[in-house]
Amino acid sequence: MKKMIVKRLLLLFLVIFGVTLMTFLMSHVIPGDPARMMVGQRASEETLQRVREQLGLDQPLWIQYVRYLKGLLSGDLGISIRTQKPVLDDLITFFPATLELALLAFLFAILIGVPLGVLAAVKKDTFWDHASRLFSIAGVSTPVFWSGLVMILIFYGYLGWFPSSGRLDMDVHPPTRITGLYLADSLLTLDFIAFKNSLWHILIPALTLSYAQLAIITRQVRASMIEVLEQDYIRTAIANGIHGPFLLFRYALKNALIPAVTVIGTSFGSLLGGAVVTETIFGWPGMGKYVVESIAYLDFPAIMGFSLVIAVGYVLINLLVDLTYFLLNPQIKE
Amino acid sequence: MKMIKRFSPAFISVLLLLSAACAPNANAPSKAKSSSPVVVDNAKDTFVVAISADQGTLDPAVTMDNSAWKITYPAYERLVEYDGSSTEVKPGLAKEWKVSKDGRTWTFTLEEGHRFADGTPVDAEAVKFSFDRLLKIGKGPSEIYGIISEIRAENPTTVTFVLKQNFPPFLSTLAANYGGIVNPKVMEQEQNGDLGQNYLANHTMGSGAYQLTEWKKGQYIKLEQNPHSLKKPSFKTVYFKIVGDPSAQRLQLEKGEIDVAEGIPVEQIESVKKMPDVKLLQQPSLLVDYLYINTGKGNPALKDPRVRRAISHAIDYQSLIEAVQQGYATRLRGPIPKGLWGHDPDTPVYDHDVEKAKSLLKEAGVTNLTLDLLYSDNKPWWETEALTVQANLAEAGIQVKLKKVAYATMREMIDRGEFDLCTGVWSPDFADPFMFMNNWFDSRNFGLAGNRAFYKNEEMDRLVRKAASINSKEERIKLYRRAQRIAIDEAPYIYLYQKDFLLPIRKEVKGFVYNPMLEGIYNIAEMSK
Repeated sequence: MKKMIVKRLLLLFLVIFGVTLMTFLMSHVIPGDPARMMVGQRASEETLQRVREQLGLDQPLWIQYVRYLKGLLSGDLGISIRTQKPVLDDLITFFPATLELALLAFLFAILIGVPLGVLAAVKKDTFWDHASRLFSIAGVSTPVFWSGLVMILIFYGYLGWFPSSGRLDMDVHPPTRITGLYLADSLLTLDFIAFKNSLWHILIPALTLSYAQLAIITRQVRASMIEVLEQDYIRTAIANGIHGPFLLFRYALKNALIPAVTVIGTSFGSLLGGAVVTETIFGWPGMGKYVVESIAYLDFPAIMGFSLVIAVGYVLINLLVDLTYFLLNPQIKE
Repeated sequence: MKMIKRFSPAFISVLLLLSAACAPNANAPSKAKSSSPVVVDNAKDTFVVAISADQGTLDPAVTMDNSAWKITYPAYERLVEYDGSSTEVKPGLAKEWKVSKDGRTWTFTLEEGHRFADGTPVDAEAVKFSFDRLLKIGKGPSEIYGIISEIRAENPTTVTFVLKQNFPPFLSTLAANYGGIVNPKVMEQEQNGDLGQNYLANHTMGSGAYQLTEWKKGQYIKLEQNPHSLKKPSFKTVYFKIVGDPSAQRLQLEKGEIDVAEGIPVEQIESVKKMPDVKLLQQPSLLVDYLYINTGKGNPALKDPRVRRAISHAIDYQSLIEAVQQGYATRLRGPIPKGLWGHDPDTPVYDHDVEKAKSLLKEAGVTNLTLDLLYSDNKPWWETEALTVQANLAEAGIQVKLKKVAYATMREMIDRGEFDLCTGVWSPDFADPFMFMNNWFDSRNFGLAGNRAFYKNEEMDRLVRKAASINSKEERIKLYRRAQRIAIDEAPYIYLYQKDFLLPIRKEVKGFVYNPMLEGIYNIAEMSK
């Protein structure tokens, strides 16, 4: 297991290097002059040249890349062309919002998806199974921009129960920053006003975001659960008088979860990346919106910083998935 | 003792929790907050505008982005200001001004009593500092003020600008956002010789009626009153709330959570008209939408004015306005739009006449003409516009290939002249026909700078350059009128339409004055509920 972790961490560096090279090349090959975006369209050649020099854009590509890597090593992701602030600062501002949204959506996906899958498997071919199938198919096939709008229309428009955008009401102060996750920070500082308010804001976006992944998890858990329930050791357990939830969760689910873990793990990655649309609809101040605006502006440093964070996130999640695999079934060979 | 030992893990966690609880709680000073989460808390002294995207830098010496101006404009004062809804200027920080006969020396006398938000009085030194700083920073806005050769603070209330040459639009430029006067104390915030750029990117330090007090990135920007301002506005707090989704904006407007919804596209405007508590402001704007015909580096056939006239005749202008702007636009007559001085209502226009177009093409000896049309999704209507133009030109026998690219790429391609036809919008930074005539037609401005048709005509160059160097407005109008006739006859651009300014606003909001030069900027100091 130790060997695996070391191997994976080495791989992580390789992946990061690859990602920096790819994003760097891609963003510099696309025609479009960031210096021009910065100085405005009516600037003279001289001004343009000076700004290009300031940004180091007049240097050969490889020098720019080496410079970028050097900066990375000291935690410097460069200066955003659009916001004119260090990219790292921008990401620190926006990443926690995305992470919080994705984490809660992930939690919803598991808390609803797993039991629903179990239910569908146990009640195979009954009303419950069909209902769960319908629910799942709707989940995978409804685009987020649509389900998000419907949610807003119902819960904000008609019922007025939940707010339609943002992370907090404008007259509520954000909790003192510890992790950047409002729910966690407000609990840690016992700021219940902020906790309640941020919970109201996050519920609907997180549910919307979780729907598609939730559906996939439900289907996966159902399938592997049905398989496990038909195996001999379960029959033996039943013959030995073990019934009900104890049988399901202690004996069956643990094994049924092994194939589901991959799906669940990668679903977190999708949630992080897929938050972009949800963030736009719900006015959620996360990284997704930041990167969309950056792309429109051809803000290289910001785009590269974002890609790096997502890539590192993916690799780490995959590592975690493999570890979970290992914990669930130590017999799996390294 | 034993007890404590046994419970020590629990004891430690309680301690930990307590210590965490000692971290300051931002909402602690028992702010009585209503329990319902969706109370629409939009009081009489609060004004909430929903905007679609967050802002970049707010430094008036740096930003060229019109959307940032809605925050900076009320936070800074300028020597002169636009007068109500007109494009003429009136006294601002300067109560009067004189210009020398040769037009090169401008002397401004400041009105006393203006103070920055920290209480420092605004004086001639601050004015000099602001322009020196802007020129030293040397970004976009410095281009316009490259004309300045010297600024002198004669005494606390008198400041003199000496220009390198006569430049009549100078006064008008001072009313633009980049003419904002910045508190010299910004230098206390300087980092690595940036003249405070990093600080002013997220803060304001002006003498306007409002100042920026909070910016929650991606969520809202909050302005509150400048306690030292001479004006006593009715709104205590102004929020610019970022709501990216148009449908969410519509719902929030209907519920009264926001007072103004800026981001509702023209296709959804009709639904706003049905809301009982909302009115729709509709005014002609100075934002023009046109097509560049690349006369220099494009298809060689486009060098022939007859071919360009043929294209102009092939467009069905009225249907295009209907298709693209649901009719919320006015046909553009000549390069200078209606509402700006210098506009000539008698400028001839090209009718939609397919036969005429065909015969012009025949006359020019052009057959099987294929052109590409460059556009991006920077403006949501450009796609429909490109398709309409394609269909129109097809009727006249011209095949159009659509070329859609990313916006940044599009700008690069415009600059290099890599297109035959291209969609474009233009709006003036200051209220002077210079913004249109000199930018679009002077052959010194090839590419992104303005002459995107790569059009060169010596007579035109002479006319617009002369018009930009004399003070008599009447004389200038005459010169521009002649230049406009050439611009129509030679047809380097297809003049499509002036977009209407459409603003859904709650009925209880009073006092909003629309100025076409300040589109998207609110005169919040004079507004109320």
